[in-house]
Amino acid sequence: MDTAALLLTLRLAGLTTLILLVLAVPLAYWLAFSRSRWKTPLQAVFALPIVLPPTVLGFYFLVALGPQTAFGRLVTHLLGHPLAFSFAGLVVGSIIYSFPFALHPLTSGFAGTDRSLLEAAATLGSSPLSRMLRIVLPLSRGSLVSAAVLSFAHTVGEFGVVLMIGGNLPGVTRTLSISLYDQVQDFQYARANRTALFLLGICLLALTLLYSRQRRTELV
Amino acid sequence: MYSFRLLVLCALLLPSLGTREQKSLPEQPMRIAAAADLQPLLPALAKSFQNSTGTPVQVSYASSATLATQILNGAPYDLFLAANSAFPQKVVDAKLSEQRSPVVYARGVLVLWAAHGVTSEPLTMHALTAGSIHRIAVADPHHAPYGAAAIAALRSSGSYAELGPKLVYAENVAQAAQMAQSGNAQCALISKTLAISPVLQQAGSFVEVPASLYPRMLQAAVVLRNAKQQKAAEAFLHYLASTAGRKLLVAGGLDAPASSR
Repeated sequence: MDTAALLLTLRLAGLTTLILLVLAVPLAYWLAFSRSRWKTPLQAVFALPIVLPPTVLGFYFLVALGPQTAFGRLVTHLLGHPLAFSFAGLVVGSIIYSFPFALHPLTSGFAGTDRSLLEAAATLGSSPLSRMLRIVLPLSRGSLVSAAVLSFAHTVGEFGVVLMIGGNLPGVTRTLSISLYDQVQDFQYARANRTALFLLGICLLALTLLYSRQRRTELV
Repeated sequence: MYSFRLLVLCALLLPSLGTREQKSLPEQPMRIAAAADLQPLLPALAKSFQNSTGTPVQVSYASSATLATQILNGAPYDLFLAANSAFPQKVVDAKLSEQRSPVVYARGVLVLWAAHGVTSEPLTMHALTAGSIHRIAVADPHHAPYGAAAIAALRSSGSYAELGPKLVYAENVAQAAQMAQSGNAQCALISKTLAISPVLQQAGSFVEVPASLYPRMLQAAVVLRNAKQQKAAEAFLHYLASTAGRKLLVAGGLDAPASSR
């Protein structure tokens, strides 16, 4: 087992999930309750990262973050190093790659809130922010957990994007899925089996926890 | 209701879209499993073979290791064109070919590519130590033949220890080229087949790495035992060894197998 790769993957997936929730909660809230006509086209745009082959998405990240674009040059100037082939680059790539997996469960969860509760709260003088914090978010606990677990798992399994913008550097950008891929390509099936089994075991555990939790929420 | 009928109609018509093309072909195509480094030049060879023999050719590209795994697990190809000799040898060892050993059809040429303006010195392995070069892209040395050649060349030129921290690893040689072409790596050690492509020619320049610096990259092929188009696969191998075939291979950035370089 490649321990450095495992730790790196957990760090990457944890950080990505955290940032994704911070970004996706307000956006999902807007998508769920806004009446803007831009809502639907935007929703479609946010689903796009699923459509492109991950390696191709990674290639576009390389181009966008590289010295060919003003954005890439600005980022390089600000950070003092290019974003490609660094851990920070992986985080940025993973956020975009896993974004739909955080946004979608949150949007449907928020949209499913009982409107009469919100209207009742509004007539009692509750502000929009307090309605979000005290009614919508607590009622959408299940969706929050779903979004977190899906983002985390999707980032753990991420391969094409990470390989393309990461450059497979041990301890810096070589994640567990890349290490696993390398083992398979090298015909080291015994090692690959151990890594894959471990990965599947962890995910099975996480998903079982998630679904048992969701059932409890439904029962309440 | 109307839209539902339309949907059913579309669903019924959909499969016929794919089959029409196959029906118009005179016979079953010869299926080649080809290493990714052949992608820029194989279409020309396949087309000229198809024109002279009438046998349609279908090519699937992937890394030699992936293709070898697929073949060892029963993939229905007729011919395997690898980027080295080790992977076709695995196929022979598994008794999946009637050949006693793989046939070498070309030699790979490793080049050093640099983006325009990164170094004012002549392009050599030692010029890579310049401070203006932060990243050097190579293919993964464990499973990509050009990656292994690149590392061997760096080692035998004595610059591996110094350049090691600058290296970034791509899954295959084409992705190494993309890392460099997009400007994220200033240099790359890649195949000549890729370096002569217009996109890379436009973004930089290349020199051939001296052949003495890396082991010979013999690209070998095997005709598969269960080939449905065994005769055509053998004919294609002969075509690769013919004057016309060689010419296209060399124009595409490979060397003839027996050349002295």
